[in-house]
Amino acid sequence: MARISKKKKSTKLIALSTTNKAYEFKKPLELKIKYQGKEVEIRLHEDPDGFSYIVWKNKKYMLDIIEKNQNRYTIMVNGVWHSFTVETPISLKRRRYLEEKGDSSSSVVIEAPMPGKIIDILVEEGSEIKEGEPIIILEAMKMQNEISSHVTGVVKSVEVKKNDSVMKDDVLIEIQKG
Amino acid sequence: MKIKSLLIANRGEIAIRIIRTARKMGIRTYVIKTIKEPSAWYLEEADEIIDFSESFDDSLPEFLDIERIIASTKKHKVDAIHPGYGFLAENPDFARRCEEEKIVFIGPSHDAIYRMGHKTIAKELARKHNVPLLGGSPGSVANAEEARKIANEIGYPVILKAAAGGGGRGMRVVEKEKDIERMFTLATNEAEKAFNNPDVFIERFVREPRHIEFQILADQHGNVVHLGERECSVQRKHQKLLEESPSPALDQKLRNKMGEAAINIAKAVNYYSAGTVEFLLDEDKSFTFMEMNTRIQVEHPVTEMVTGIDLIEQMILIAEGKKLAFAQKDIKLNGWAIEWRINAEDVQSGFSPSLGTIEKISWAENEHIRVDTGVRDGSVITPYYDSMIAKLIVHAETREKALQQSSMAIRKFWIKGTKTTLAFCRAVLQNSNFRKGKFNTSFISKELKIHYHNEPDEVMLAAFFATYDYARGIHQFEEKPLKIDKSKKIAPWVSNKRLR
Repeated sequence: MARISKKKKSTKLIALSTTNKAYEFKKPLELKIKYQGKEVEIRLHEDPDGFSYIVWKNKKYMLDIIEKNQNRYTIMVNGVWHSFTVETPISLKRRRYLEEKGDSSSSVVIEAPMPGKIIDILVEEGSEIKEGEPIIILEAMKMQNEISSHVTGVVKSVEVKKNDSVMKDDVLIEIQKG
Repeated sequence: MKIKSLLIANRGEIAIRIIRTARKMGIRTYVIKTIKEPSAWYLEEADEIIDFSESFDDSLPEFLDIERIIASTKKHKVDAIHPGYGFLAENPDFARRCEEEKIVFIGPSHDAIYRMGHKTIAKELARKHNVPLLGGSPGSVANAEEARKIANEIGYPVILKAAAGGGGRGMRVVEKEKDIERMFTLATNEAEKAFNNPDVFIERFVREPRHIEFQILADQHGNVVHLGERECSVQRKHQKLLEESPSPALDQKLRNKMGEAAINIAKAVNYYSAGTVEFLLDEDKSFTFMEMNTRIQVEHPVTEMVTGIDLIEQMILIAEGKKLAFAQKDIKLNGWAIEWRINAEDVQSGFSPSLGTIEKISWAENEHIRVDTGVRDGSVITPYYDSMIAKLIVHAETREKALQQSSMAIRKFWIKGTKTTLAFCRAVLQNSNFRKGKFNTSFISKELKIHYHNEPDEVMLAAFFATYDYARGIHQFEEKPLKIDKSKKIAPWVSNKRLR
């Protein structure tokens, strides 16, 4: 937090989506924004019964913060969530630079998409796997789910054992991309 | 015998649904409290609570513990048990134990449950009564090798199904020979876990059928009627996501023909109570028998809406030995009903379960809308039970009007605190083929490429709000440092009430 000093204050903030789309907003942030060439007012509401929503062009949009961690946000609007990192022009530049350099970086972890129990592990250290290939069977909510790899490569390490209980986002397997 | 008290061996929305009818009939209700959901809503709705929460035995979950449920029912001198759906609803041993202990089981006889639950016996019965069937293994398959042999004979794709199964569990489609061993293991494991019986059988897999089921009511005096069909083709991995009644695919002639076949299946096992006969309907309007579900179904409300008949009430009256008060000619289908299942699932991450606390839930109310739910503000979604939290049922004069009402009702159905399948419902409603009634069981995998719907403005508004909240946080820090407890969920406007 200390690195945000008043001197370096920039003139805009950018919400960068996971699909790499940037939404720019002028600082200081006001509830009137320019959108498709027009100035439109955004109204924020909180119902007495606890719902929060935006009124935008006379329509209500239900709003919920799903996740908030430093500059990372997951915001749900009308039941669909969107993840962003909020960047300054400088941090965005740095981020883009690092991404370009880092893309070829080597290893990827497969995380548990949901809490559950490991029923079977279909690979071992050193196994060659292809994108889309099932690697683990995880039981959750009475269903056996196949967890598959989203990359092609070689299994670097297996972090779980059969019958382990795992939480959401626990690391299951690390894969060396290749 | 008049039933004066009733234990519901179930939880969630169906427990509350049964209580509602029991109360109307002047029947005292008992429910089971578990340690997994000690403050669930259904407990408050019942007249009496039987406490199972002092012990936690994960090897035998509460709602599957036959002897404990029977003993409690006797101890409290309760007349009858309604099993709801899932759990012990289609367990013939449970129905038999009730019969032995002179407890009224609100459902069919244990013999009917056994024969319809055993898919290979059920298929044989259907064959005898001239109901058309798919090709496949005559009985359950012993091992992967035998599975391979049969699959090669009938040709791929094939489907492996749990012999004791239902609800999509223990079911796997195999496209190619190389996958059969792995899929056989998955299906048997899942069948063992879910139904305590690893047996699976094989059938030819019809790739793009419709899934049509018929609601049956039968009394203990040999009277059987059908209450029309339910269209259940919109499924993902064999899990239904919405149902409607009637089906856009049926005309009165086909309805009569399939209804008659359904009645014949029921009569073949001297069925009584409410039951459902499931068919696959091919594009050429030929149909084949799949299975009979010997319980009340999740999607029963759509039938209730179009027929005006309370199915839970009928089940209780039939269990008391009463005769059906209506004949087939008295059953009229009135208008169109659609049920949207609202599950706590993350549609954007492959429908993975979304646990958490329902902070707020609300919906629009009018004469077209019925909501059956087991949750309310503050309810916790646990990993122990299935992910369905509510059913939104919309009833109108025509399908078109029901769809219109659905759009409005889905937009106004707000749930805060968890991700839900409402985003999926919106995507379905946007699809033109769905709106035209042109769809089958491949709808989600083929037609619905994106499983959620959002408008471009919504992404921008989300981006704006993230940025706005971030900027406000920084601003506060600069004005006066604030201690923020990160572990606590922050309501969007907690510190800025003056916003309008």
